[in-house]
Amino acid sequence: MVRFKHRYLLCEIVSEDPRCRQCIDERAVSAAAKDAVARTHGDYGLACCSISFTVKYLNAYTGIVLLRCRKDFYRLLWSALPFVTYLENRNQRYSCFFNTLHVGGTIRTCQKFLVQYNRKQLLLLLHNCTSEEERQSIQKSVLSCCLKEVEEEQSQSGDEEDDCAETD
Amino acid sequence: MSNAREKKRAKKMRNQPASVTLSSDCGPCPSGIQHHNGGSRSFQTPKQADLHPDSSQEFQQQRHQHQSPGPSYRKEQYFSKGQSRGRGGWRGGHQNVSQEMPKYVTASTFAQARAAEINAMLKAVTQKSSNSLVFQTLPRHMRRRAMSHNIKRLPRRLREIARKEAEKAVHQKKEHSKNKCRKARRRHVNLVVEFNRRQKKNIWLETHIWHAKRFHMVKKWGYCLGDRPTTKSYRACYRAMTKHCLLQDLSYYCCLELNGKEEELLKVLARMCSIDTGPTFAAVPCLSGRLQGSLVLYRADRYPEDLLGPITFIWKPKDGSGITSETRQLWIWTHPSLKQDILTELKTVFQCSEPVKTCSPEPIVTLLQEEKQTDVAMIVGKKRKREDNEGEQAVPLKKIIGDGTRVPLQSYCWTSQTTGVVISDLTMEILRYRLIGPLSHCVLTEALKTASIQTEMADAETELNNWWVENCKNSEKVSLHQRQEAIFELLQGISSPSEIAAGTILGLTVGDPRVNLPKKRSKAMPNPEKYQDNEKVRQLLLEGVPLECAHSFIWDQTICKNVTENKISEQDLNHMRGELLVPGSQLDLGPCESKIPILLVQQPGKVAGEDRPGWGSGWDIYLPKGWGMAFWIPFVYRGARVGGLQEGMKHSEYKRSPHIPNDFPDCPAGIQFAKELENVLLEKFKRRPPAKRANYVKLGTLAPFLCPWGQLTRDWEVRNKAQEESVVTSSAESKSSATERQVPCEPKPGLIIEDSQGDMMEEMAKIQNLCKEDGAATSSGFFVLRNRKLLKQLSARCRPTCGKGQRVRPASKLGQKEMTEDALLSIFKCYPRVLVWVSLSLLRKGSPELHAMICIPTQEDFLQLNKDQLFCGPQEPKHSDIFKHKILKLKERKKKKNNGNALESGASDALEAKAVEEPKELILGLWPDPLPDVTSHCSRILLGFVTQGDFSLAAGCGEALGFVNLTGLLHMLSSQPTDKKGLVLLRTPASLQYRFARLNIEV
Repeated sequence: MVRFKHRYLLCEIVSEDPRCRQCIDERAVSAAAKDAVARTHGDYGLACCSISFTVKYLNAYTGIVLLRCRKDFYRLLWSALPFVTYLENRNQRYSCFFNTLHVGGTIRTCQKFLVQYNRKQLLLLLHNCTSEEERQSIQKSVLSCCLKEVEEEQSQSGDEEDDCAETD
Repeated sequence: MSNAREKKRAKKMRNQPASVTLSSDCGPCPSGIQHHNGGSRSFQTPKQADLHPDSSQEFQQQRHQHQSPGPSYRKEQYFSKGQSRGRGGWRGGHQNVSQEMPKYVTASTFAQARAAEINAMLKAVTQKSSNSLVFQTLPRHMRRRAMSHNIKRLPRRLREIARKEAEKAVHQKKEHSKNKCRKARRRHVNLVVEFNRRQKKNIWLETHIWHAKRFHMVKKWGYCLGDRPTTKSYRACYRAMTKHCLLQDLSYYCCLELNGKEEELLKVLARMCSIDTGPTFAAVPCLSGRLQGSLVLYRADRYPEDLLGPITFIWKPKDGSGITSETRQLWIWTHPSLKQDILTELKTVFQCSEPVKTCSPEPIVTLLQEEKQTDVAMIVGKKRKREDNEGEQAVPLKKIIGDGTRVPLQSYCWTSQTTGVVISDLTMEILRYRLIGPLSHCVLTEALKTASIQTEMADAETELNNWWVENCKNSEKVSLHQRQEAIFELLQGISSPSEIAAGTILGLTVGDPRVNLPKKRSKAMPNPEKYQDNEKVRQLLLEGVPLECAHSFIWDQTICKNVTENKISEQDLNHMRGELLVPGSQLDLGPCESKIPILLVQQPGKVAGEDRPGWGSGWDIYLPKGWGMAFWIPFVYRGARVGGLQEGMKHSEYKRSPHIPNDFPDCPAGIQFAKELENVLLEKFKRRPPAKRANYVKLGTLAPFLCPWGQLTRDWEVRNKAQEESVVTSSAESKSSATERQVPCEPKPGLIIEDSQGDMMEEMAKIQNLCKEDGAATSSGFFVLRNRKLLKQLSARCRPTCGKGQRVRPASKLGQKEMTEDALLSIFKCYPRVLVWVSLSLLRKGSPELHAMICIPTQEDFLQLNKDQLFCGPQEPKHSDIFKHKILKLKERKKKKNNGNALESGASDALEAKAVEEPKELILGLWPDPLPDVTSHCSRILLGFVTQGDFSLAAGCGEALGFVNLTGLLHMLSSQPTDKKGLVLLRTPASLQYRFARLNIEV
């Protein structure tokens, strides 16, 4: 058995306008990417890239998008991504650009990378925060994602400990 | 189907994060200002709540924990309460929030969004998502042996998950025996409980455990029996049979005991057998108890139809005094598959209906049990549950000795009011081992030592050996014992058991065979020098074992019970061995040694036929129950090789004797067996893909899995009639050349002797009458010819008459009794539906198989054989498969129907069931049920079928045993040239090649 090999492009949608987020959905993203490919590589490129092209994951709040493409043609897609300049949804157009963070062979590696990347981002935020209130809230969110692992282990070990944690 | 796939996919994707978008329903905010602060979180949580409820719970909890003061958080908390209700409630909240939210990006929302994503991703990465087990996800080079069994073989990071998985698997399994540790399970008490439970359904022989470790076990006839050894031992077993000794456990044979007055028994039993088939119950040497007899039983007054089955029988020898000679004891040994039929027939014939309650001294045992405060159920089942002395005190649980499947309250003893005959079912009460081979008596004499004379009780309290002490006080009996001992010793001087008269019985009382067990397995060899010119040996060979020596205490049930109960356990024996002063020296138990009454019966080997006389003869040994393993191991240690059912079958095949129940197609057990065999073979056939299995239609084999005896005989009858008519109407225009040749065949000259012919004529008349009655009663039935006289004549006629001088003589000797062709033919004409047991040996190549066809060669075949001595045999032309087309059509129709159903999407169960049933009628490569004329389906006329066939190691060529139709056989013999008499063609079901074989009828 030979499987089809894919490449996953983990991209970040960067936009000046916060309203851009609401038009981040699968259809819009894939349309924008395909449009860019068509413009840069023509019909051939579009055809190549649209084989098994999908948006595997996206997060409107963080602007993270995971695109899938066949391994043979991912370069076409990759090279076309810088030419995406806007996202269009419901006749509303917001300018933005794609920032490719990682190219991986499996979703899993991309997920792993994303974890690392987000951690880095949080730490950066923590370093650069300006006010005390901000600092606290960021610390809280950092703790939330780290504590979760701890808590999971606890819940597995037993309910009693869980109770204790809650009282704390 | 698709549902299952969806489920599988859902399971796989359950940990994967879903895309998170701003809800499209809410649309762009009218103000065009995006909320950021609390809104982002409240948006995210409902999504997650939809996808994975459990994780969102955690999420919520966590959020409650880490609440900080602030208006946005309070709002947020409010949302999280409302979110589980659904989107509607949630949206209303959202709009409120969005209005309140500031317009700038704060670091905290940014951070929270990322934190949430980290969590989702972490979950996806760390938790296993696939349906496979953990170790299956590992790359190949990291896999280790027995990973699923031992978690510690996994990499450490996966152990936690694997542990959970393993727990789950344990829950799924219905484990009950594993709840105890191995040590507990293997503890003797628990083992006994488990074994007793397992032998409730099928009876275990006493050697079961021994066999189960070394044999492929099969469940047959209500027993667990060893089929064949797991080791490669086909040839080794044959060598043991011919040169040394093969041991078989035949304890599954059933013993029926008849008790009653001699004349009563004989009178009734005479109705069940016929003098034509050989000596009956009343044969003088058998009746006196000197020899074991064997015969075939029929339903009362139904001979020659309605066969019940073959049996062997032993009369208990008359006591010397002659006072009690009136009541005699008779053992009838049957195969378990025949037992039920024979038992019911015996019961009806003897009018034994009332069960006897007091057939065994049960009360004593019951009392003993009550003292031991076992529960009521145990007491009731007590009869069969006995055990050795040691265990009786320590363990309340009994090892089952004897028949474990018996219903406790049911009686196994029946009596008749009118005649006083008592029939009891002694199944599993007497053990029976068979030793086959020329050195079997060497094994016996080495393994067994006759009991020493004992006049004093070892211990006044126990009843151990009290019967023996009692016996030893009588000088007459002591002298008898000494004579038995002397004869037993003399057996060593005999080179083969076949030298002794067939069925000789020798009673013995022997000591415990475990005492003189050799340290290593060795081969028992005879030392004929010691007995080279012994006068006594010669006398023994000439006169046989005298009648008195057939006496044995095994006939007495109370003694047997005593012996069974007072067996020294293996444990005690080993303990005593351990306490010996010189380790490994002979153990001397003195008066404590048990004395066991046994019976040795010579088994005749090959009696029929000319070659290898006495091949496969041996001894049967009968023991009281409970002593199975105590005798088994010593025999094995003396070099006896153990065989199973397969070896038993090969033995009878090489002996050319019919095997029970395979070769008795006219008895109920044989019919049952044939049906089962057909099912097994058909299942096996159907398991192969159609392209990879033989197409029996093309090969012209009508019934590859079953011998259609009924149809064969019927077809021959029809054929015979048609020929007669054609001969009568116009002898000139002969339809077949065969009938033409029948006419010039001249009667044998000068062989008729007046009185013998008269004898024959009488018999003929008798048979004719019989047949007329039978023909009226059961027109569809067939039966096997077992009349010895007729068989002898047939046998003589089968042989080629002109040939070497050797051959002529026996034929002419037998020919004295022979009659003219016409007389013989007229006899056999009234036997229209009769089969004859024949043996075939192939002239050249080829090994026949089960259900091979026996056919009549044509004139051209003989011509070719004459021309070319190396001529193997003719070929059957290929037949065309007329059913293939039909099957294909059916298939197509079914497909269409199925498609239609699928479209309608209402495929009801009934329709499907029909679709399943349809191919049952037509299987590719098999003839559907109403067979055409079986005799003339192929190019050669069919005569019969083979029931056992293989390459015979004993004869060095392919040999087969089977049945042929008598009418067909006579027809063939009359048409064959004299030097080619008895030549037939054999064809295996999966081949087109006919091969020449010589047909013999051995009486």
